[in-house]
Amino acid sequence: MAWRMTCQVMWRIPMLVLISLIVFVILRGIPVDPVNMLMPPGASTEDIARMSHQLGLDRPVIVQFLLWLQDAARGDFGTSIQTGTPVLAMVLEALPTTLQLLVYGFVIGLVFGLGSGLLSFRLRGTRYEHLIMAVNGIMTAIPDYLWAIILIVTVGVGLQWLPFIGAIDPGLQAPVVTGFSLIDSLLDGNLRAFFSVISHLTLPALTFGLCIATPIARVLHSSLTEVYHEDYIQAARLRGVGEGPLLMRHALRNAALPTVSLIGVQASVIIGGTLLIESIFGLPGIGALMLRALGAFDLQTIQALALTYAITVQVVNMFTEFAMHKLNPGLRSQS
Amino acid sequence: MNHQLAPSSLWRRALRERSFCVGAGFMLLLALIAFFAPALAPHNPNDQDLLAVLLPPFWVDGGTMDYPLGTDGLGQCVLSRLLYGTRVVVTIAVAAPIGAAAIGCTLALLAGYQGGWLDWMITRFVDLWLSFPAVLLALILMVALSPGLQNVILAIVFVDWARFCRVVRADVLVIRRREYVAAARISGARTLGVIWREIVPGIVPTLIALMALEISIAVVAESILSFAGMSVGSQTPTWGAMISDGLNSMYSSPYPLLLPVFCMILTVLAATFMGQGLRQATDVRSLERNGAA
Repeated sequence: MAWRMTCQVMWRIPMLVLISLIVFVILRGIPVDPVNMLMPPGASTEDIARMSHQLGLDRPVIVQFLLWLQDAARGDFGTSIQTGTPVLAMVLEALPTTLQLLVYGFVIGLVFGLGSGLLSFRLRGTRYEHLIMAVNGIMTAIPDYLWAIILIVTVGVGLQWLPFIGAIDPGLQAPVVTGFSLIDSLLDGNLRAFFSVISHLTLPALTFGLCIATPIARVLHSSLTEVYHEDYIQAARLRGVGEGPLLMRHALRNAALPTVSLIGVQASVIIGGTLLIESIFGLPGIGALMLRALGAFDLQTIQALALTYAITVQVVNMFTEFAMHKLNPGLRSQS
Repeated sequence: MNHQLAPSSLWRRALRERSFCVGAGFMLLLALIAFFAPALAPHNPNDQDLLAVLLPPFWVDGGTMDYPLGTDGLGQCVLSRLLYGTRVVVTIAVAAPIGAAAIGCTLALLAGYQGGWLDWMITRFVDLWLSFPAVLLALILMVALSPGLQNVILAIVFVDWARFCRVVRADVLVIRRREYVAAARISGARTLGVIWREIVPGIVPTLIALMALEISIAVVAESILSFAGMSVGSQTPTWGAMISDGLNSMYSSPYPLLLPVFCMILTVLAATFMGQGLRQATDVRSLERNGAA
């Protein structure tokens, strides 16, 4: 078990390095010279040459990349040209917000997805099944950032139920212990801050949740329909297993497999969705940081954040693979 | 799967799908609007009328027929911008699927037919590509390339070829083992001939379904890029940029935000319907299995 986990981690490392290399090469094609942006307007040609030598920009791209990799392996991702602070500190400060959004949104998505998937299956054969699936089809077509806008306009501005700008009420401040504002405010016993944070996080998480709920519901519905054609369901029914336990204990376990595998396959799409959601809702996560860095040609930050996203996707993939192995003994014996 | 699907029969089957007709009809309308935008638009989309900022549409109090759908925060005619915005949408909807299909298919045919180390390399590369958020890769590319319609198409193709490659490769692997392919090889056909005459016709249904799917993905991708301000330059009106501008003036007037959102949703729905209809007509199951749908 431990051996397999190590292997799981090990073969992902070359992938991360390769993704970093691709991003690195793309970023060298930038139309703006990063040295010019660092130097004062009247800098002489010698100064510029010295600066680019200092930064290693006069060497071949692959050498530059290896130098970056060497530093990155030691945890040094350079400094941001926007703020002059180390990139790693900026990323680590922003990351908890994104992870909170991911986890909260994922829980909402799972509840809605499983709920509507099971409901539509329970109502199979009636017109409500078609209704739910038709609504699901329409909802799937709406991209995540439009969901964000729809929710802001309806729930935020129209009904005024939930706040939709920033991470916390202006007057309040969450204490910083772990960086996860939800956990920190609870640890601190500051319930007002906690409720403020969670209400600010609800609409973004709902946006995110809706985007994963629709595919989950669809796949769950179709795989449940498929599973119910299997002989063992009929056999269990003949043994006198009730419809409720039949669904929960026998069918759901098998129908869950395609759903989990879908989450794994779609992990990169799902995580990419947080990028715009964060900047629309004004959450100080890595997505908002990334968009700002892209606008300012902040290469070091872009590079480090690209790696952060790649790692996040790989971690989600590892979780889903782990869940697949737990759910399906067949996969376990194969490996 | 029906591999002898003649184009004419596919066409007839697609026309029998109601969702295809609705979706394709809307897309056709969009193409016509894009083509005749200069004739249809009441104003130049970039003309600013600073005396008529944030006017509501004509059916709301205070709206005039001069600006049928009102004006945005800079006094630009919303209707004209929406009409001109279809040009980017239609260009992307046509170019991106073709580009992504061309690259994805070529690599998929190479990988699937040749097998061996080439297959291994390409498959790993596709896995790698799909494990990175597509939106992010496109945004990073747009930073490196300068703004412009060609570069947007390039960025979307560069990001989305991998999905084509993965699904088509799976099809090629199946078709390669068929007897008629073996027969062609035994009878002395050259590799390229076998690929072109025996394999390619077999992947056409999958390819059509994938390209239809790519239309909505590409249109959304472009709108995300222009929403983030990293698509075509600010001189070309796009729905994504309109949504982004509308978000800033949301409190003064919701219409410059809601109208492009509405158009965007309608377009994506139409593209999705078209894709669903085509998928039913071609009966391609491998899309779901490979997580492309």
